[in-house]
Amino acid sequence: MEIDLGRLLDALPGLVWTARPDGAAEYIGRRWLEFTGMDHRDAVGLGWRRAIHPEDAPRLLSRWAEIIASGRAGEVEARLRRHDGVWRWFLFQASPLPEASGAVLRWCGVNTEIEDRVRAEAALRDEERRFEFIVEGLPAMVTLMTPQGELESGNQYMLDYFGRTLEELKARPVGFSFHPEDRPQVMSRWRRSVETGEPYDHEARLRRGDGVYRWFHTRGFPLRDAEGRIQVWYLLQEDIDQRRRAEAWLAGEKQLLEQVALGLPLSTVLDDLSDLVERLAPGCYCSILLVDEGGDRFKVGAGPSLPPRYNAILDGKAIDPRYGPCSLAVVEKVPVITDDLARDPRWEGSVWPGLMAEYGLASCWSMPILSGARDVLGIFAIYRHEPEGPTAEEQELIDRFTKIAGIAIGRARADAALKAGEAELRQAYRHLTEAQRLSQTGSFRWDLTADTHDWSDETYRIWEVDPGTAITTQMLLDAIHPDDLSATEAVVSRAAQGEDFEQVFRIVTAGGAMKHVHAVGHLTEPAAGRPVFFGAIQDVTERKTAEEALNRASAELAHVARVTALGALTASIAHEVNQPLAGIITNASTCLRMLAADPPNLDGARATAQRTIRDGNRASEVIQRLRALFARRAPAMEPMDLNAAAREVLALSSGDLQRRRVIVRVDFADDLPPIRGDRVQLQQVILNLILNAADAMATVEDRPRDLWISTARAEPDLVALSVRDVGAGIAPEAVGRLFDAFYTTKADGMGIGLSISRSIVQAHEGRIWAAPNDGPGMTFSFAVPSGLEPAEAAPGPPNSVPREA
Amino acid sequence: MSVVDDDQSVRESLPDLLRSFGLEVRPFASAEEFLASETLGQTGCLVLDVAMPGMSGLELQLELGRRRHDIPIVFITAHSIERVRPRVLERGAVACLFKPFSEKGILEAVSAALGTA
Repeated sequence: MEIDLGRLLDALPGLVWTARPDGAAEYIGRRWLEFTGMDHRDAVGLGWRRAIHPEDAPRLLSRWAEIIASGRAGEVEARLRRHDGVWRWFLFQASPLPEASGAVLRWCGVNTEIEDRVRAEAALRDEERRFEFIVEGLPAMVTLMTPQGELESGNQYMLDYFGRTLEELKARPVGFSFHPEDRPQVMSRWRRSVETGEPYDHEARLRRGDGVYRWFHTRGFPLRDAEGRIQVWYLLQEDIDQRRRAEAWLAGEKQLLEQVALGLPLSTVLDDLSDLVERLAPGCYCSILLVDEGGDRFKVGAGPSLPPRYNAILDGKAIDPRYGPCSLAVVEKVPVITDDLARDPRWEGSVWPGLMAEYGLASCWSMPILSGARDVLGIFAIYRHEPEGPTAEEQELIDRFTKIAGIAIGRARADAALKAGEAELRQAYRHLTEAQRLSQTGSFRWDLTADTHDWSDETYRIWEVDPGTAITTQMLLDAIHPDDLSATEAVVSRAAQGEDFEQVFRIVTAGGAMKHVHAVGHLTEPAAGRPVFFGAIQDVTERKTAEEALNRASAELAHVARVTALGALTASIAHEVNQPLAGIITNASTCLRMLAADPPNLDGARATAQRTIRDGNRASEVIQRLRALFARRAPAMEPMDLNAAAREVLALSSGDLQRRRVIVRVDFADDLPPIRGDRVQLQQVILNLILNAADAMATVEDRPRDLWISTARAEPDLVALSVRDVGAGIAPEAVGRLFDAFYTTKADGMGIGLSISRSIVQAHEGRIWAAPNDGPGMTFSFAVPSGLEPAEAAPGPPNSVPREA
Repeated sequence: MSVVDDDQSVRESLPDLLRSFGLEVRPFASAEEFLASETLGQTGCLVLDVAMPGMSGLELQLELGRRRHDIPIVFITAHSIERVRPRVLERGAVACLFKPFSEKGILEAVSAALGTA
């Protein structure tokens, strides 16, 4: 049966064609022509090539030529232009149709569209490329390990880091590149991950191609297939050396700053600092030199790794900028780098380079350690055996730790200054305490409102309270002698208003001892608006006791003197009078005997009677002489201020009054006119009234012994002074006789004081009187005329113009 | 007997009184005057003032003792007597009277002195 070959071919699914042995298309199937939109006439021969993508055509034709030449089946991929102009990928497959002789009779071909597969392959290739791009572009090592944990491959970063080819690396044992110290742990962790499939995460040092170890953070993840079997381990290894170093620096700085804060000795801090820097910068030897207080010599602060002899030479060395870089750095206040000792011309002529060479040191980098005020505290120097300058990293390290050294030295200096200040303060305090002790004077600060008391040791001693005991005002009030309490409280309350206070009072200590204390004080700047006293308290017991003894002695002496004088006077008077009396009596006796004689001796009697008269006259003369002797002189009248006179008396008698626990209260009139009088005599009157008042209160114990002394204008031309006591008072019937001579209400009184006072006041044309008080006690007053005319003395209306004198 | 007193009243009145009792009396104004007189050896009783300018009565008593003139002495004084009396009596005085003295007092003392002589 004759089957049309063309129809047969066209029935085949696919784009089919035949070609002659030379490769020229002989027959092209209908489907091919439909796909490309070409005519059969155009496509046969070599016309079909126009449907091939120009980029693919050379490869396709060359491959087609190979296939023809080989005479065997072959294939090639290329794009065909569809009838609408769209390029589609096709697989061109050609098989020879041989003759019996074996030569190729014809080529049969079929084009199969492979667009989808090609696209998928291209996508895969893109992905791989992207992956590779990423892996190679990562700033980290990416290493692939076999499921057994052996190196499979790695990125370029890895190869570069280790400076070896992959093959060389694969030849090494696993873990070979890790730091020996880290290796055991790395291996144990890695083995566990390989066995269990757990992700790997660890930090360790890896040896770089040049021998330097750097820290890496390695993270490993297993890639598993559909069955869950590990296909490969991906390791991502990140260089964290910078971070680790920063951490180490920070940790070191923190540790050193803690040491500074704790106040550890400077030598310890500087030694540790040197050790740390030497650890962080291998090959560097630290030296820290301190500039002494005079600023002209070095003192070794630290140099733990330098030869002790070298340190010994530097210690105490005079700072000389021609000697070496450390001295120069002090003078210039800038870093001085000698990177190669042998080639540095600055130290020619110095013994320093020879010294360095002796110890095999080739470079020295000197950094000035500056204070906040830019004073050079010292030098931070690095020595190396190699002739090198600092790397950027070393420079940063040195800069940072030079600052730490500055902080440590500054702190040490501040501490030393503080200690010196404290010592000075302690000494001053010792002096003060000693002075307080010697003078028996304590100091105190008293916040009245808060009731807080800050006492010195001596104050505690005076009050006989254990030092440190919390003091309250009530404790003090309890200790003050009851007789002195009201007066002392009055002084304190006035002081709270701002008056300075000064008071002598008695305290009774817990031990029962009575002490006289003299307190002075004043209100200081109020604390938080509260009144605060600062003052001193002195134990005046000894002085007071001595004073009292002296007062008693002087009172006794005065008494003795008075008694003696009186006795002498009496004796003298008696003698003067007794002499003539003896004569009178004897004469009278003789006279009587003469008259009684028989015969009476009249002449003799007359003579003796005359002698009697003479002696009588003589006795009378004695009395007259005595009267003349004791006659009061005429008062010396002059203008005087009664207030001032009274104040003088108070000043003179204050000690006596205080001893007798009399509280004097004064109320002097401001507008008192002057009087004319004998100052001394009137002062005797005032003194007499005051002493009488004090006497009257001698037995008063149940109330303060208040004595009021006041002055006033009594009438237009009279000035009066009154003395009021709170004593027992005087019976009304006795008041009238008070001013009589030899009348006394006192057990040991003479009865002449008021009598004399009256005489004096009367001599001043004044008067003196006594009156019982409404309350307890008496008031004695006297009034004397003012020295002014009555018209002058009269109080004028306010703002009246004083009359011309 | 002798009266030694610097006071004129006594020197004038006392000898007269004593004479009225029949005694022979010579007055002297001072101890020195008496010591210098011839009467010294003849005196059987001495009325002597204690306080006198120059040699006092007490000193005269001592002086007489030293000269071994054992004359009984009656002291008279216008001063306080309490201090003087024990001292003079201790030294051998017969009596010590306080001026003014009574007639009876002086007579008893003088009698006692003369009686002891």
